[in-house]
Amino acid sequence: MSKIILTVDDSASVRQMVKFTLSDAGYTVVEAIDGQDALAKLASPVNLVITDLNMPNLDGIGLIRGVRANAALKGIPILMLTTESQESRKREGKAAGATGWIVKPFTPQQILAVVKRVLG
Amino acid sequence: MIDKYRQAFDEEARELLTGLESALLELDEKRDDGEVLGRAFRALHTIKGSGAMFGFDQIAGFAHNLEAVFDRLRGGQLSATSDLIALSLAAGDQIKFMLDEAAGNGAADPARTAGIVAELHRLTGMAEPAAAAAPPSPAASGSTAGPAADWRIRFRPGPDVLLNGTNPLLLIRELRQLGELGVTVDTAALPPLSQLDAERCYLAWDMVLRTAAGREAIRDVFIFVEDDCQLSIEPLAAQPAEPDATAGPAKPNAAEARGAAAAASSIRVSADKLDQLVNLVGELVAVQARLGETALRRDDPEILEISEAVERLTCALRENSMSIRMLPLRPTFERFRRLVHDLSVELHKEVELSIEGADTELDKTVIDQLNDPLVHLIRNSMDHGIETPDARRRAGKPPVGTIHLSAQHSGANVLIRVSDDGRGLDAEAVRARAVEKGLIAGSAPLSESEVLALILAPGFSTARQVTGVSGRGVGMDVVERSIEALRGSLEMASRPGAGLTVTLRLPLTLAIIDGLLVRVGEAYFVLPLANSLECVELTREDIRDAHGKHIANVRGDLVPYIRLAEYFGIQRAPPEREQIMVVETDHGHYGFVVDQVIGDHQTVIKSLGRLYRNVQLVSGATILGDGTVALILDPHRLVQNAIQTVGQASACRTISNRHFRSFKKENRIDGTQVKP
Repeated sequence: MSKIILTVDDSASVRQMVKFTLSDAGYTVVEAIDGQDALAKLASPVNLVITDLNMPNLDGIGLIRGVRANAALKGIPILMLTTESQESRKREGKAAGATGWIVKPFTPQQILAVVKRVLG
Repeated sequence: MIDKYRQAFDEEARELLTGLESALLELDEKRDDGEVLGRAFRALHTIKGSGAMFGFDQIAGFAHNLEAVFDRLRGGQLSATSDLIALSLAAGDQIKFMLDEAAGNGAADPARTAGIVAELHRLTGMAEPAAAAAPPSPAASGSTAGPAADWRIRFRPGPDVLLNGTNPLLLIRELRQLGELGVTVDTAALPPLSQLDAERCYLAWDMVLRTAAGREAIRDVFIFVEDDCQLSIEPLAAQPAEPDATAGPAKPNAAEARGAAAAASSIRVSADKLDQLVNLVGELVAVQARLGETALRRDDPEILEISEAVERLTCALRENSMSIRMLPLRPTFERFRRLVHDLSVELHKEVELSIEGADTELDKTVIDQLNDPLVHLIRNSMDHGIETPDARRRAGKPPVGTIHLSAQHSGANVLIRVSDDGRGLDAEAVRARAVEKGLIAGSAPLSESEVLALILAPGFSTARQVTGVSGRGVGMDVVERSIEALRGSLEMASRPGAGLTVTLRLPLTLAIIDGLLVRVGEAYFVLPLANSLECVELTREDIRDAHGKHIANVRGDLVPYIRLAEYFGIQRAPPEREQIMVVETDHGHYGFVVDQVIGDHQTVIKSLGRLYRNVQLVSGATILGDGTVALILDPHRLVQNAIQTVGQASACRTISNRHFRSFKKENRIDGTQVKP
């Protein structure tokens, strides 16, 4: 069974790119439009979360904290999408329990490499 | 491949710009509102981030400048001024031009881009922020290959790495891809089983890697964990080991302003595909009707049961596919904020736009064609309706005029109203102008609504001069025609001195409706179910008691009725009992007398073709199960027409704008003249 990746971003174009890239590589991709949506979608099994940091309703940091506070989701890898200007946000995300990060802008190859690193 | 993303980004960026624009206009009213600032910031942030990703570097760089300003605005280090808001609006437009340019339409002026950035820096006193250039990604930062060398890697992950989702096994596998790897696991820290916490990592690894890749490439494998682990990477020749990285405490950033802008979870599907789906569903509905009909005739319980199941499913499928096409009016409405803002400046009037019912949903096709008529109506209100602040003060009104844009459901229709609190229509001026134009005779007695109908005549205007706003060669007649093309109708209500309200009545959908099938003689008609109220019997006694008047007594209420057989000149032997279908129209409750009410019918609307384009009473046709064609009646038009016919009989002359149209053709009124 292919691994399920949840991509969380309020930007539809980014979600679309992540989805196409990962689907092509054989992963199953589920989309969520913000942190709240993501938490709801995490009710069904997911192997990896890729989340943006700046989002309405519940941002990426909040989502990471929410996931890490949920015993049912223990140990699930979380990648955050950051821009270079967000060094402090990256630290914050790391402290909240993110597994790793992908720096925007990124290419399909880059995201695949990082996903392989945390998901195998 | 990338083109697909670019297209998606283009669409998304335009949506974001609309959002940015309404946030900016809101900001104009509520300075320093954190929520609004957050929305504007996020819109710019996404334009920047996604723009850089899909190769829109100029847009990304430009948006970066704005984003930096809004970051400081929401952080409270800057406050919004009207200059800054106006400049940001202009910057939003510039991004639109840049998008157009990228899509191959026109060119964005780079000098203007630079000018906006310079002005931005002047207004905010901010230095040029570092451009959002593409940074090296962790995966890309490997050093160039040299001759193979041996490296000793000591890796002791922190105890919590497993909880954070790191799998050390994967890191070791990744190392193995770099070259030949020897691994020794260090289990010294492993506690006795009774004290073991399965979620903690007690292991460490000592590895020797023979690779051509440099230290950076090796380190890059551990980039995500290097803050929470002890890691040393040494060339085997040199020995001294030093712990490479230690965890740095994270400092929480300034609280993130969270907006409540609700983004709908959605996927993008091309409109063509939706049209295709709806067409197929339409065909399915027609086939289902045939199946139902056949099942009834066969009278076979088994087939009947299947037919009913198919009917239920078809009905659900139909409603579902219809709802897919429904979009809220909000984006259309919100766009007018900018129009009103810009026109107020141009016309030196102060106007506020209030919006109500923007969540009302309408068929996408209808929404797409609604923009131009609404723009025209709003322009009209701004130009002709609302007075200058001085004139308003003299009239005892508040100096700021109001345009109210509202939408609401009404049966199978949506009513969209554009009302202003301006001077309204001057019935006398309209009449004088019509006489001047030769549209009516000076002595023609006209009711107020007939006078107002004159506005809809082509080539008519009460404005004395063409302004930059109105008078662009599009008149109210064009508005009315485009609304009619959507099977809608237009009404005006003027309160002289107090304003004008234009009501557009639009059908919810253009493809399939729930109808009620009725029969008159051999002819079948469909009435929209949403307008139908009830069905009562009309006996010969009732007719006799009414003394020749077409009025029925429905539980004490007098309901005027129209005999469809007479109205359409259908020859048939009148049945013993007829039925009155009571329908709700704009003019109150009316009855249509038919021979038989057959039942509800999912009606796929087929247009009648060009030849019947001007037939007003019938909004289309549908094909019944047995192949018979049934006409779909428009109850509003039917009643309106009947009222006019009665009016015509009593008054010597009645105006319908239809007459003007033919009049226009005969008398060659120049269609490009001043228009209302």
